[in-house]
Amino acid sequence: MKSLFGFIGRAFITFLRDLSSLTSLFGDTIVQSVVLLKDHRKQKQWPILQQVDQIGFHSLLMVLTVSGLFGIAMTVLIAFELREIGDSNYSYIPGFVTVAIFRGVGPLLTAVIVAGRVGAAFTARIGTMKVSEEILALETMAINPVRFLVVQRFLGLLLSLPALTILAGGTAVFGSFLLCSTRLGIRPEIFLREAMDALMLKDLYAGVIKATVFAMVIALIGCYRGLLVEGGAEDVGRSTMITVVTSTLTVIVLDTVLTAAFYG
Amino acid sequence: MIKARGITKRYHDRMVLDGVDFLAEQKKITYVFGTSGGGKSTLLKILIGALKPDAGSVFYHDLDITSISGRELDPFRKRIGMLFQRGALLNSLTVGENIALPMREHTVLDENIIAIMVKMKLELVGLRDFEHLLPGQLSGGMQKRVALARALALDPEVVFFDEPTSGLDPIMAAVITKLIADLNRLLGITCIVVTHAVEEAMRIADKIVILYQGRVRAEGTPQEIRASSDPLVQQFITGNPDGPISFHASSKDFREDLLVG
Repeated sequence: MKSLFGFIGRAFITFLRDLSSLTSLFGDTIVQSVVLLKDHRKQKQWPILQQVDQIGFHSLLMVLTVSGLFGIAMTVLIAFELREIGDSNYSYIPGFVTVAIFRGVGPLLTAVIVAGRVGAAFTARIGTMKVSEEILALETMAINPVRFLVVQRFLGLLLSLPALTILAGGTAVFGSFLLCSTRLGIRPEIFLREAMDALMLKDLYAGVIKATVFAMVIALIGCYRGLLVEGGAEDVGRSTMITVVTSTLTVIVLDTVLTAAFYG
Repeated sequence: MIKARGITKRYHDRMVLDGVDFLAEQKKITYVFGTSGGGKSTLLKILIGALKPDAGSVFYHDLDITSISGRELDPFRKRIGMLFQRGALLNSLTVGENIALPMREHTVLDENIIAIMVKMKLELVGLRDFEHLLPGQLSGGMQKRVALARALALDPEVVFFDEPTSGLDPIMAAVITKLIADLNRLLGITCIVVTHAVEEAMRIADKIVILYQGRVRAEGTPQEIRASSDPLVQQFITGNPDGPISFHASSKDFREDLLVG
């Protein structure tokens, strides 16, 4: 019993310490972002668009494939359920799928994919640089590692994730549209009308706000864990795993909180 | 120039540096050597301000670098260069970009001027043709020379070297050693070199400091070190496996360890 309390106590202290370090990294990142955005010369050297390309464009295929298939699977399941209860009126499907995707699953699904793909890559990359003393070398050259390594990734993800989220939502609905129009006999114009009727402007901006928050969390956790790496390859692997677990969990918890805040 | 007084540092319960006093004079080459794990790299990290000692202070001219941190260290850092043991070049940037980095960050020089400076620094280490390659495409020795060119980017007053010749073939090691000597003699750069390569130290050093078990065991010119009557110093410079320094790093008695488990 005593050791259980000890374990919980230690875990709590570690959590508080991580939280305070993350908050300070967030502050640092914001300050350094302003420094970078003000300095045209430095901006030219560290093009944020290059990060957008690496994060956003390279994740695009995976995000679109997963969300397109998800839209199809969801449509199949709802159609099955409607048949089960003896209702062959499938015209609810477009509205239902659109709302479920944009309001709920879309931002979450995209963020979880990006946390696994991009967050992990941030940790592995920065962690390897830490191990090979590249970060110490930067500090010795009086170059701020946060501006050099974190800011671009932070801003890059901040631009990429909301865009990916909207595209993922669109693709999931398109998947559903394909199935509805080919197999369930819903005419394209009906689908479009039903979908547009169900969708509110609030769904779009709530999705973008969620994606923005998720982007900050994923970028900060990924970079923070990378900067924390000590020792060698083993710690890079361990830290990468911790990044995927903590950022995925944090995204899921925040999704619940934000959904409750917007629609509760 | 660089003066350290009473540097003490412990990791967990192990005393790595125990009251080390150190002085590197301006425009001289100072070598620090000692056994592996003897605190050399820790001392170097403290001298460049990357690590804070538990006690003691380090002065660069009159500036106490152990009493400041973060951005306050930047003016000092812009005046020094550091050659890391494995080069520590940024792998995502080309050789040329690596060398240009400190200039782009800390000067207002035009890109054309920077391009010329990069070529000059590369010529200094004999690698002018390699500007557009990535560090991963170079051999270990070449990476170290590029790292040296980067350390020289801002024309530093002092350059620190962490094991500059370890892991290199004898010819490349001699090339690097000659480069260190040239930097000092031709450009008047103060060099502080941490190594366990005794021969090169004896050849070019103005002063040698021998660290043993976290303390300064001996210091002086190469001649003084060679003439030392301390058997430990003699073992160091001759590289004799038999002598006061045992190859056993464990403190417990072997027999006792086997029997007790």
